[in-house]
Amino acid sequence: MVGHRWIFLLAWRYLFPKKHFGTFFTWMSTAGIAAGVALLMIVLSIMNGFDTHIAKKLIQINGAIKIIARRPIAKDEAFLENIRRLPHVKAITPYVAGISMMQVGERVALPKCLGLEVSSAASVLPLERFLTKGSLNGLKDGAWVSESLAHECGLGVGDTFELYSPLALEAMRKEELLLPREITVAGLFKTGWAEADRSTVLLPLELSQELYALSDNVHGFSVEADRNCLAEVCRNVNDLLPPGLVAYTWNTLNADFLYILKLEKAMCFFVLLFVVAVAAFSMSSGLMSAVVRKRRELALLRTWGATKTALSLLFGLQSLVLGTLGLFVGFSAAAVILHERNAIVRGLTGWLLPKDALWNFYDVETLPAVWSRQDMLWIALLTLVMTLLASLLPIGRMYKLPFVQSLRRG
Amino acid sequence: MEAQTEATTEVRKPISAAPLLAVENLSKRFGTQPLWQNVSFTLQKGESLSICGVSGSGKSTLLLAIGGLETVQSGTVTFDGRPVVGGQRAHVEGIGYVFQHYHLIEELTVRENLLLPFSIRFGSKQMPDIWDEVLDLLGLREFLDRLPTTLSGGEQQRAALARAILAKPKLLLADEPTGSLDEATGTCVMELLLRVCQRFCMSLILVTHSAMFAARTDRRMLLKDGFLREQTA
Repeated sequence: MVGHRWIFLLAWRYLFPKKHFGTFFTWMSTAGIAAGVALLMIVLSIMNGFDTHIAKKLIQINGAIKIIARRPIAKDEAFLENIRRLPHVKAITPYVAGISMMQVGERVALPKCLGLEVSSAASVLPLERFLTKGSLNGLKDGAWVSESLAHECGLGVGDTFELYSPLALEAMRKEELLLPREITVAGLFKTGWAEADRSTVLLPLELSQELYALSDNVHGFSVEADRNCLAEVCRNVNDLLPPGLVAYTWNTLNADFLYILKLEKAMCFFVLLFVVAVAAFSMSSGLMSAVVRKRRELALLRTWGATKTALSLLFGLQSLVLGTLGLFVGFSAAAVILHERNAIVRGLTGWLLPKDALWNFYDVETLPAVWSRQDMLWIALLTLVMTLLASLLPIGRMYKLPFVQSLRRG
Repeated sequence: MEAQTEATTEVRKPISAAPLLAVENLSKRFGTQPLWQNVSFTLQKGESLSICGVSGSGKSTLLLAIGGLETVQSGTVTFDGRPVVGGQRAHVEGIGYVFQHYHLIEELTVRENLLLPFSIRFGSKQMPDIWDEVLDLLGLREFLDRLPTTLSGGEQQRAALARAILAKPKLLLADEPTGSLDEATGTCVMELLLRVCQRFCMSLILVTHSAMFAARTDRRMLLKDGFLREQTA
């Protein structure tokens, strides 16, 4: 065998005969592979979208880097300045975090209280974006209450509630009475992160220091830095920290949660890959019957000098063409569906669910989707590997063909 | 050589001294049942030979064994000075085939069908040097861009014939090439086959049921009861 062009020509013509563009087998095989590829790409892209959305929320709520103190630490301005001077660090803000008891009339709640320094916190956390009612400056002497908690307790901007310090218990043991602080609601907020929105109160730093009897101390610091070099910044911050303080990046702090997300995505990939596998092996069965149907032609090709390897290539190439075509159609379909995803989801939710229930639950305005080149490469690679593996069955069948008998029997 | 075969000694029309094809003591059996045994004959360059016999006598199998496609139990075939190893290689350089069923690839045009064996052997960039001559001789020029399914049986067989000879084989093995055609078309195709072999100095072994077509070859042999016998005029 001298030339190989005939293999390409014949493989192409078996799939796309001259009289019509593509056989039923060609388009059915392509559709099967394309459906699997599109499904994989759509599901993975939406999962990527939610992962990115979640990561964004985690950073918005906790800051990119968090410095956590084992015991309360002084808010030393010189120390803060040292951190600010580190390369890629944009801002730093102290925080106080704890649980308090809140009372509104007869209603009692145990919200998580977060004390923030309004002047510096706005550079680290997108407070203005969280605010749904009220003003940012109101946080200087009032409190922000999460929407859900406010709704539960019937609070609105300008209303007051009583906040009990956890130290009240200690005081009671000493037969002292620590009176609750009356606090005015200066704003309502919603972060979009269910855990934070369920029951959180944001307080001025001084008020929270007083609530937990910290004098000028704080529980830790949130740092905003360049997202592309967080690990490096975190290392540099840790180098500056005194014993008892440790800095963590947002992904280290949420490592378990992020691992679960990754695992979910991997499992989805693995399960949906079976759709492509089924399509590939259905294509293989079509090629098997082609081998039997064309056994005389194959025998004739052998008499002209085509080796069995060349005939194997003929079928391997058909698989590869169908796999590639399936990938192209699948990725194109996925791109179109993802582009129109919001219209599709709004149509479906409008029909199946109460309007906007989905958007409110996930706190997204549109269905997030991120097209990952890495996912695309993996899908392409595994699809091509599977279609090539599937071609081994017809190739094996071809090897077993009694070529001479095919010629003898006409 | 066995007494039952009478082929090799009487070559009626020697064209060159060294035979192009020498078949010696070829035997084939399926299981314990012999199909044919001790088949021996020689064929000179440019010579034509027909093999007749009843259905099931093993004519086609013999043809495939000569071409090296079929295994045999004993005997040797030497083509162009080289031994042909039966069933070991699918293709022996210099041997072309024409079958009863044309086996044109229906997905390819006539042009692509004609060039396919040539592409397999010599690569795609080269064109057969007898391309124009063969097309004119077999009247195929007007069908080149048509699909085989749009051609009549005679036209398809002419295309199959052209496909077999474009690589200029030294020996053409034709297995009932007119078997699927009506008498008039069959005669026409047979005329062309013989003319082409003569024109390009190809040797021909023709397996046929037709005594009329067999009579057109230089030599005639009959495969009967497992033995091949030369028939004199």
